[in-house]
Amino acid sequence: MTLRTEEMILNVGPQHPSTHGVFRVILKLDGETIVEATPVIGYLHRGTEKLAEDLTYTQIIPYTDRMDYLSAMIGNYALVHAVETLMGLEIPERAEYLRVIAMELNRIASHLVWFGTYLLDIGALTPFLYAFREREKILTLLAELSGARMTYSYMRIGGVKWDVPDDGWLGRVERFVDDFERALEDFHALVTGNEIVQARLQGVGRYDQETAIAYGLTGVNLRSTGVAYDVRKAKPYSIYDRFEFEVPVRTEGDLWARYLLRMEEMEQSRRIVKQAVRQFPSGGEIMARMPKLIRPPAGEVYTSVESPRGELGVAIVSEGKPQPYRIHFRRPSFVNLQLLPKLLVGQNIANMVAILGSIDIVLGEVDA
Amino acid sequence: MVGTGLLKGLGVTFKEMWKPKVTTKYPDEPYELPNRFRGIQKLYVDKCIVCYQCAHICPTQCITIQEKPKADPKQKKKELEVFDINFEICILCDLCTEVCPTEAIVMTSNVELAEYRRDALHKDMRWLEANNTNIRELNLPWKATSSSS
Amino acid sequence: MRDWLYEPLTLGRFAGMALLIFGLLNVVLFLVTYAIYIQRKLLGWMQSRVGPNRVGPYGLLQTIADVLKLLTKESFIPSHVDRPLFLLAPIVAFAPAFVVFAVLPLTDRIAFSDIGVGLLFYIGVASLSTLGILMGGWASNNKWSLIGAMRAVAMMIAYEIPLVLAALGVVMQAGSLNLTAIVASQETVWNVVPQFIGFLVFLIAALAELNRTPFDLTEAESELIAGYHVEYSGFRFAFFMLAEYVYLFAMGALISLLYFGGWLPPHPALSFIPGGVWMALKTLLFAYFPFWLQATFPRVRVDQLMTFAWKGLMPLALVNIVLTAALKTAGVV
Repeated sequence: MTLRTEEMILNVGPQHPSTHGVFRVILKLDGETIVEATPVIGYLHRGTEKLAEDLTYTQIIPYTDRMDYLSAMIGNYALVHAVETLMGLEIPERAEYLRVIAMELNRIASHLVWFGTYLLDIGALTPFLYAFREREKILTLLAELSGARMTYSYMRIGGVKWDVPDDGWLGRVERFVDDFERALEDFHALVTGNEIVQARLQGVGRYDQETAIAYGLTGVNLRSTGVAYDVRKAKPYSIYDRFEFEVPVRTEGDLWARYLLRMEEMEQSRRIVKQAVRQFPSGGEIMARMPKLIRPPAGEVYTSVESPRGELGVAIVSEGKPQPYRIHFRRPSFVNLQLLPKLLVGQNIANMVAILGSIDIVLGEVDA
Repeated sequence: MVGTGLLKGLGVTFKEMWKPKVTTKYPDEPYELPNRFRGIQKLYVDKCIVCYQCAHICPTQCITIQEKPKADPKQKKKELEVFDINFEICILCDLCTEVCPTEAIVMTSNVELAEYRRDALHKDMRWLEANNTNIRELNLPWKATSSSS
Repeated sequence: MRDWLYEPLTLGRFAGMALLIFGLLNVVLFLVTYAIYIQRKLLGWMQSRVGPNRVGPYGLLQTIADVLKLLTKESFIPSHVDRPLFLLAPIVAFAPAFVVFAVLPLTDRIAFSDIGVGLLFYIGVASLSTLGILMGGWASNNKWSLIGAMRAVAMMIAYEIPLVLAALGVVMQAGSLNLTAIVASQETVWNVVPQFIGFLVFLIAALAELNRTPFDLTEAESELIAGYHVEYSGFRFAFFMLAEYVYLFAMGALISLLYFGGWLPPHPALSFIPGGVWMALKTLLFAYFPFWLQATFPRVRVDQLMTFAWKGLMPLALVNIVLTAALKTAGVV
């Protein structure tokens, strides 16, 4: 006798602890095995691109804070970099150094959130608190620099808003960067060596290089399949060509590869910050000479930067007015998320959570 | 050997148990915020020249301004009748203080704004003027650096 | 103390018994309350937090406040549930947790009852709680709780067997299912030494039985939100939680009885300390141990768990039985 079984529709999210925000997936389950997955997005859609058409370029900066809110510095930079490229501005060296330090610290902070929440997804509680303990130090440093803990709005077209705080801020950054090495060792001892973590991550959620390229994946999701594409190296911007750092690449394409790559990226960002603090110019302006009202010349521009999640691109169509005619953000979270339905088929619920976490999405950016 | 990673992990958590704790005692003890911190604005009503720049730059249009002629008819200048900030939508982005030519509106590092009614989040100019603790010392950093260098 | 039971029941005796039962229940509840407090403190310290500190001095009243809050909450029953089962489930899950204490001797003299098949009774009754979990998960009429309940049952079947097989080694060695006799047989050397493989299997299986990390699949917060008790709140939820915590102590007590000589001191020279203290210390140690694991490990996947149980623990437990039998025949133990 055969038992009659039915498929079950399970609605995961938008209020679910592991969807990292208001994301929803409709799963068709056979037992615990996923037969079909339909992602639903848009719960956090604010129409940033449309809103930006009525805002001056400076006014758009606070909106970029709120797209990828875990790495607002990089969002800020993506916008101002596009406008500066359109205007052909020369940015003072001191401002560039401040930008790099801020961005790389922010990248570490963003990866720390990923590390903590990812381990929470697969059931470990403590790494989350350890990661946030380290992140708290970065947020304090960035708050001292920019005046906010997450929504920095620190960059301005032509430079940065604030100079280095004159109470030994750079020294504190250097001390943090040195201490952080030990914290990373602790993370590796606590998590990377753990056999349960390895059993959960190795060989799961695998895709190959062709798929990754076909789906337009960038960032760690692409580098885990063996493509050494990092915008900081491929199309150097700012002053990244002055620093020594590596682009970690792995070829397995599974959760484990993505885990190790993000851990390694924190180490590389740590190196960049350390070098930037050493090379920091002793004087100079933090703002280029700017007209009172910023009117980039008519034309189009596309520039991209390496955000913690991948290639964050900004395309601007300007008509020479203070507001853009059209602005488009290439949001890496959104692009990377498209692979999800394909990856989930045949997996079980526990793996679903781990796979979604490894893509590393920020819903503010997916929905924009 | 299988299991050494597990034991190593247990060692990390065990060692952590004896280390000093990192959590702060908020709200029993105030949480120190840097002076640059962007909190609720402070308004100097008599410094304001009613130029509307702050209201125009605001990305969320949370500032409402109304003007009236000065009480003294000999002066032609205007003064504030109404200056409201709607903290339901203010994102504390700092752009209003950046454009203010007279530094009439500045940031403080006060952040505690929780209220029981939404109406209470609409702060008028009297409230904003009375908000005079933890005022930010430096508000226009470019001016300061370019004048000093 | 047990002579009472053989005398005729009068109103006075009945009242006395009721009072005693009430008193013992309160003692257990009090111990559980403060053990939870200490566990939360420990978990906090391991995560560089201070742990409970708001209610009472050093947060000493935190657990009491939590329990009171749960008990005074509105008794809410969602409209789509299977009412009778939904109401019954917390009781079915909770009652066995206290019943098993009846057969756990605390010292060689203090025991609620001293039945010949104490271990069998414990294992038999304890597995009833899974029924409560299944009932709760099914009756909730919620897909998440259904998956959680199904996982609980699958885990119960997978882990109860190695658990019993591992304990069988101890039983063979002591020649008795009576827990007092098992402790008495450890006078010279604790069972953890000759039964080390059995102990490891038992410990791992016990963690799974208790649904603790890394086997907390039935609740699996990040996957199933809360598993079988998604739809429960207020005092019904408190019953599920309490059952879980009481089991933690019951299992701690069982491990120390089976493998660590119960109330026997580690060395005869230390026998001036009363047996009850040793028993309490050992029980607390094994009741707190899962929290250390919780602070350190992630969760295993459901298929890995099954593979581990059937292909790893089962053969090990069987090897342990064969070894024990061989040693017993050879007269080594």
